[in-house]
Amino acid sequence: MLQDAKALLLDSQNPDGGWGSAKGKRSNTEATSLAVMALELLEQDSKAAHIRNGITWLTQRQSADGSWPLNDSAKTSSWTTAMAMLALGLWPEHQSRVVSAAKWALQQEGNRPGLLAHLLFALTFKKKALDIDVDLLAWPWTSGSFSWVEPTSYYLIALKKLKGKLTGTNSDERIKQGEMMIYDRICKDGGWNYGNNAVLGENLWPYPDVTAIALISLQDHAAAEANRQSMRALQEMLKDVHSGLALSWSVICLSLYGQDTTKWKELLAQDFEKTRFIGETKSIALSVLALSDGAKYFRV
Amino acid sequence: MLSRREFLRGSAAAAVYPLLGNCTEPPRWERDTYRRSANSRVAILGARSYEEPLKDTVLRGIKLFQLDLKGKVIVLKPNLVEFDPNGVINTNPLVVEAAIDAFKSLGARDVIVAEGPGHRRDNEYLLQASGLYDVVREHRIRYVDLNSDDVRPTRLRSRFTNLQQLYLPETLYNADLLVSMPKLKTHHWAGVTLSLKNMFGVVPGAVYGWPKNVLHWAGIDNSILDINSSLPIPQFAIVDGIVGMEGNGPLQGDAKKTGVLIFGNDLVAVDATAARVMKIEPRKIKYLEIAGDFLGNLAYDRIEQIGEPLEKFQQDFRVIKNFQDLKTLTG
Repeated sequence: MLQDAKALLLDSQNPDGGWGSAKGKRSNTEATSLAVMALELLEQDSKAAHIRNGITWLTQRQSADGSWPLNDSAKTSSWTTAMAMLALGLWPEHQSRVVSAAKWALQQEGNRPGLLAHLLFALTFKKKALDIDVDLLAWPWTSGSFSWVEPTSYYLIALKKLKGKLTGTNSDERIKQGEMMIYDRICKDGGWNYGNNAVLGENLWPYPDVTAIALISLQDHAAAEANRQSMRALQEMLKDVHSGLALSWSVICLSLYGQDTTKWKELLAQDFEKTRFIGETKSIALSVLALSDGAKYFRV
Repeated sequence: MLSRREFLRGSAAAAVYPLLGNCTEPPRWERDTYRRSANSRVAILGARSYEEPLKDTVLRGIKLFQLDLKGKVIVLKPNLVEFDPNGVINTNPLVVEAAIDAFKSLGARDVIVAEGPGHRRDNEYLLQASGLYDVVREHRIRYVDLNSDDVRPTRLRSRFTNLQQLYLPETLYNADLLVSMPKLKTHHWAGVTLSLKNMFGVVPGAVYGWPKNVLHWAGIDNSILDINSSLPIPQFAIVDGIVGMEGNGPLQGDAKKTGVLIFGNDLVAVDATAARVMKIEPRKIKYLEIAGDFLGNLAYDRIEQIGEPLEKFQQDFRVIKNFQDLKTLTG
């Protein structure tokens, strides 16, 4: 399966060196980051041309402020900065780029409701619309919006991997707040939805992919009850999951928590044969990381 | 006692009014965005269950509008925002299948199914869990994830948000007709979610995140108006009301058997009719009320109901407490 996945990745690389969300789509930062990470695992030679071209695509797109845009069309700074940090972090020669991106990331924060909105909500909602702490400082998908679990998790992983290289910054405080935000959004029986755990008093259900990513970001608190509860929730969710994205993130997460991944890896390989993960670059690349030793790239 | 909405409206108006002075409010939409005709037609066709052959019904519904479909590229945009095995969140895949068959048989060159789910990033899961994967595979139809499609900056043609422009998927620019295929549902923030609200799904998550939170900050009602006034291609709507959702929609409401499919090329008129089917007053839905000023017809007497009579399918859809005032039909 790994060789088939590699062939798909090589076949879908764009002439500009990057990868799009699927074959024929414009290169973007997320797909290119995950593809170079996957190929780096599969290649004996980490300077192979297709990897080098992918890295060049990434380095050429880094903005002066250290961030990355989604792609050449949507040029505003994007959540994909965390993905590029994880990818380029594999190569020591790009460490300064990663640190520069981290400094940018430390200045980013999700929108928080203003005083007037706080007051209006307190006065007018009979039933609390969202039972979360909206003041916790974390990361949005894009500027001008609220903080969400998934981008916050990506930034936590990327920042934690830079431990010791961000002296003189507020990284410790931001990491702490980011973790608090993720724990704050935990679903009633563990695991994470895309953001909120309840709306208008009704509990929302967790997603396996988001739960796995959140747990990866909190791997240094593996013994915490919330982590253990969410790990149980993830194992339960996996019984009904057939998707490259969810299974790949879950296998990476389970590996990092020292859990047996054998049957989930088998299922992942079987699903690849059936659907080829509908041609999505991110899922194909993540499955390579999951089925090889790619979890190490997410270890903090 | 003031309702929450009345209070919020009143507070906002009180805050802004002193700043306006004697200024006349500038127009909020560009002149060529105005597309309200003298009258609109909306077709209401009965369809008792998903098990009955739907292609003929959908074909009949589309034909009533004499669309020129020969050689055209059609994008079908169902609602795949989320999946709940015990719920009725999504446009039923059998309705999408019937639409694929119908548009193909009417001469469409290509039919694409496209969606940018608002909550989940995991398209593969949604496609498989909802049953839509089998439909697109069996019919060899291309599925496009609009969340991660290539994008093009698109200038907004109305000014209800302060966004000025939105990135929209290239797939829309390469098509001739966008068919909004919503589920007939109540919505806990917007009142109802129908063919206009369904267009949130064309806004790419890769740019704006999940759940397209930039649009929420810009205001759901305002965003619905700006998106729909700025879509680059003509639209058509097919509302799946065979089984709808009442109560705490769009995700956690209860199933409501209604047995109807609603068709039309004026999305405001379609949504107004769909709301009336739910015994919800469309003029009390903020975005519909404003859309009725320029995007299409909202008034009952400006909409010609064709097919079967609306009254035959009207059901009392429950709404959450905050929206009780929507339940007084005035026309």
